[in-house]
Amino acid sequence: MTGINKNNKCRRIRGWLSEAISRHFGLDANWLQNHITNCQRCQRRLVSYGKVNLAISAIKSQPHKLDLLMCANAQAIGVLKHSLRQAQKAKKLRKIRPEPKLRERFGKYANSAVNVAACITILLLTKIGVFSSMDIFQTQGQKVIKQYYASRVGDDLADEIFPKDTKLSVHPKNSVPLRKTQS
Amino acid sequence: MFGKTVSYGLLWDFAVSEAVSEDQRWILSTMHKHGQELITMIWRILGNEQDVCDAYQDTFLQLAHYEGGQKPEHVKAYIFRTANNVAISMLRRRIAEKRRMSTAIVTGKNVTSPAKELDSKYLQETLRDCIAQLPEHLRNVITLRDLAELSYAQIGRILGISAATARVYRCKALQILTMWMGKEEEK
Repeated sequence: MTGINKNNKCRRIRGWLSEAISRHFGLDANWLQNHITNCQRCQRRLVSYGKVNLAISAIKSQPHKLDLLMCANAQAIGVLKHSLRQAQKAKKLRKIRPEPKLRERFGKYANSAVNVAACITILLLTKIGVFSSMDIFQTQGQKVIKQYYASRVGDDLADEIFPKDTKLSVHPKNSVPLRKTQS
Repeated sequence: MFGKTVSYGLLWDFAVSEAVSEDQRWILSTMHKHGQELITMIWRILGNEQDVCDAYQDTFLQLAHYEGGQKPEHVKAYIFRTANNVAISMLRRRIAEKRRMSTAIVTGKNVTSPAKELDSKYLQETLRDCIAQLPEHLRNVITLRDLAELSYAQIGRILGISAATARVYRCKALQILTMWMGKEEEK
């Protein structure tokens, strides 16, 4: 238990630290921006760093042919042993096409899912709010009715109808006629 | 008698090879499981479809002949490292061939216009050249992290280092690449 707490604390502190470090030493930090505007050497380095990032992004965004996996599989299977080449799985591999990852496949539904989740949350909150308001409303109403009974028929009877140790949620309508018949 | 011995020998060879092949079905499973990721990584390293097919084929050929057809303990690590090495060797060969073939390209490099600097193809080729020249431990991390898009934990498992070390190596690799790309610009 203490280990978990310690881990959580450690993780939290790590988060704060990285946040603080990125605030002070990140590329957007004021002192860094001020320095870069005045230092040509750092400007050149920043440009080169940007170039590396740009080149990596360009390489990543370059698509290959859809049938590349199929061709590569066919070529690779071609050099394997005869029985492997004839296997059912090998036939499937020769026709396989790249499939998007689960995350990519369902990425387009992410916004809709978030919207639905937000709607459900709002509904739940509303429902909870309405029910708690209903409870308050009921308790207040019963208090008012008890006061009314107390003013009309006296405190003793009102206490009997609405005993102190029982909850006020007992409907007065059910108890009033009973008291009347007794009296 | 001799003929019979030969035929029995052939039958035995056939039976053994069939048994080995039966045991090597895991190669096809590996191809199915990791093929797409491998292709993506090799494509990003080489950027040429025929070269990708060749590197992929070499990788699986090496896997099939690993210690006489044995299954490596960590198949994923083995194929990623092999593919990485094969692809880098091909890239280096290609760069050397390009340099040897024409000096005109080299002289062309000296005249860097802003338009050329922004040319995506030029940038990609320059970065590939630089990556090919990196020391092995840094190159492995940068290709696995930035080109194969694996997590640091996965890279650590593949290369037999900790995730933190992988992070440090990537940082160093980026520093060197930045420096080289800067020099490339100054040329």
